[in-house]
Amino acid sequence: MMLSDTTQLALRNLREAVLRTVLTALGVSIGIASLVGMVSFGVAIQDQVVGSFMRSGLFDTVTVTEPFRAGPRAGGRGRGGANAFRQQVGPSKQAPADARLDDDALKKFAAIDRVEEVFPNIRVPVQATYGDAHEFTAAIGVPMSARGRGVFQSFTAGRFFANESEDACLISQDFASRLTDRKPAQIVGTSLTLAYASQGNSADAAAAMLPGMPPMLPGGLSIQRSEKAFRIAGIVERQGGPDPVAVLFSAVMIPLAKARAMGSYDVLSPQALLRPPSDKPSYSTVTVRVARAQDTEEVEKKIRDMGYTAFSIADVLKNDRRAFILLDLFLGLVGSIALTVASLGIVNTMVMSILERTREIGIMKAIGGSDEDVRRIFLIEAALIGLMGGVFGLILGWAVGRGINYGANYYLRTQGVPATNLFLIPWWLVAGGITFALLVSLVAGSFPAMRASRLDPIQALRHD
Amino acid sequence: MDAAVETQDLAKHYTMGRALVRALDGVTLRVERGEFVGLLGTSGSGKSTLLNLVAGLDRPTAGSVVVFGRNLDGLSRADLSLHRRKMVGMIFQSFNLIPTMTAAENVALAMMFAGVPRGARDRRARELLEQVGLGGRQRHRPKELSGGEQQRVSIARALANDPEILLADEPTGNLDSKTAHEILSLLQALNDGGKRSVVLVTHDASLASRCAQRTITLLDGRIVAEAQS
Repeated sequence: MMLSDTTQLALRNLREAVLRTVLTALGVSIGIASLVGMVSFGVAIQDQVVGSFMRSGLFDTVTVTEPFRAGPRAGGRGRGGANAFRQQVGPSKQAPADARLDDDALKKFAAIDRVEEVFPNIRVPVQATYGDAHEFTAAIGVPMSARGRGVFQSFTAGRFFANESEDACLISQDFASRLTDRKPAQIVGTSLTLAYASQGNSADAAAAMLPGMPPMLPGGLSIQRSEKAFRIAGIVERQGGPDPVAVLFSAVMIPLAKARAMGSYDVLSPQALLRPPSDKPSYSTVTVRVARAQDTEEVEKKIRDMGYTAFSIADVLKNDRRAFILLDLFLGLVGSIALTVASLGIVNTMVMSILERTREIGIMKAIGGSDEDVRRIFLIEAALIGLMGGVFGLILGWAVGRGINYGANYYLRTQGVPATNLFLIPWWLVAGGITFALLVSLVAGSFPAMRASRLDPIQALRHD
Repeated sequence: MDAAVETQDLAKHYTMGRALVRALDGVTLRVERGEFVGLLGTSGSGKSTLLNLVAGLDRPTAGSVVVFGRNLDGLSRADLSLHRRKMVGMIFQSFNLIPTMTAAENVALAMMFAGVPRGARDRRARELLEQVGLGGRQRHRPKELSGGEQQRVSIARALANDPEILLADEPTGNLDSKTAHEILSLLQALNDGGKRSVVLVTHDASLASRCAQRTITLLDGRIVAEAQS
């Protein structure tokens, strides 16, 4: 018997009992809707948490620092989190003596496979002055390549730096509101003055000596106060930079080249201060951006092999991911309860249908239908019920999700919380939902179908 | 040359409650190719049981059935369904048409199991219905047809896969005598002077002797008489 004919027979059988078919399919729909609803809720929650990290652009970066030099690494067991952390992110080999984060190291990182770019993280402690307002913060150097990435995807006002040589800065919305009452659009284009400490040569050091600082540091280093005006080019919604650590404290973002030129990149690092000035300058942290988030782990490992300390947000989120998989699994199981009940509905419907059609089965067998033909007819009937239920269930799940979403967001808005999407139905959930409905109904239909195929034709023909 | 049907000491026993019923109790008979045989007997004589065994709907307790040289005893369930599909055409007292299908669909169903493509089977169903005199009744459902018409549909269906032998179980039992005559003439025409074997089960001796070449009478599962007509 051809499959198209079997399907056609199954379809006509379903049509003959429209009400029963529709009710059974409705049962499956409710099962699928609850399953899809639950999982899509889990997916949305995960998207809220992981997605915000993803959008921040932190997933494709590795932060590199010079190796910790805290004595021998042996015996780290049971000595607390710091050591565990060190072993996790620290160099995999004994660090070579020259494992310094200087420009040569940057070139080496850039040569690693699948690395998009490498740049130092330069944070300059500054005193920002805007009109009468002063605030101490840090200015962070942002490479031009960060345009359109991470926090630079959404501007409250203005835009990214036009070019690297521009004396322009970006500020965070929070910072802006602390400085002034003006509207963001009015702030853009105005000037922000940054005062910072820089290494100077001893000749003009006397000009602007920092109060309370000795005129000359050991090693012939002098520190001077400099001031520079920056045009505010834009206001970003959240403060940030390319490096996860620097993000936290840097309200002002300036082009990387400008930060470099400020010449004070290492005042935060006592190590650097104590180094003889003849040494080449080195950076405290370097950001390595990889092509795809999946590559971070491998690149991280290679950098560790070179003797540096490297870590990425992906390390931190690895544990979160497992938690989300468990959450999805749990929600899926809860959602499956309704589907289990629905599958019993299918069994019931099929058994009833076989009882009603016993004589028909007998006739089919008498005129040459095989056990297999009969089995397939019933199996396909069950599958069709599942398919209908699956498709309708997805629509139902989506509709209910939208409804709850609307209600919940209405509530969130009244509470002053920004609206979010609480239900997400990705394509894999659509395909998975329908496949699952199909599978469940096939399993549920297999027992009745087997029973139908095993009917004794003579008994069946006597049946009324 | 093999006979159409050959049985050897055929027995079928079953239990009903605690009693053992010997529906067939050692039947040996032979139906030649192209022969029209009438099986006579009162109800419970075992004639329907014999027919079901020849059709491959049931399996004997003992003895053998050979249809066109093929012993049904060794056949699997799937091969038995193939036997029913290809070798025999069954006609029942109660017609056994599928009520939700039209006349043409009922006839086509038999060909569906044989894997005949849609166009071919629809054409053949139409031809067969015309052949049994139901040219204008193709789209009618069984309920909309008279008893005689339903039996004609059933005969057309039995012919669908061009079987070697027709097995008719009291085909006129539910029909008035005029219609019964028409159906019997149709069966005779299908026997066509020896082209296709026919076994007709009936309790009406005069009916059997009129159209069958030979009658076999059963009583309590045994052959008690044979007569050439």
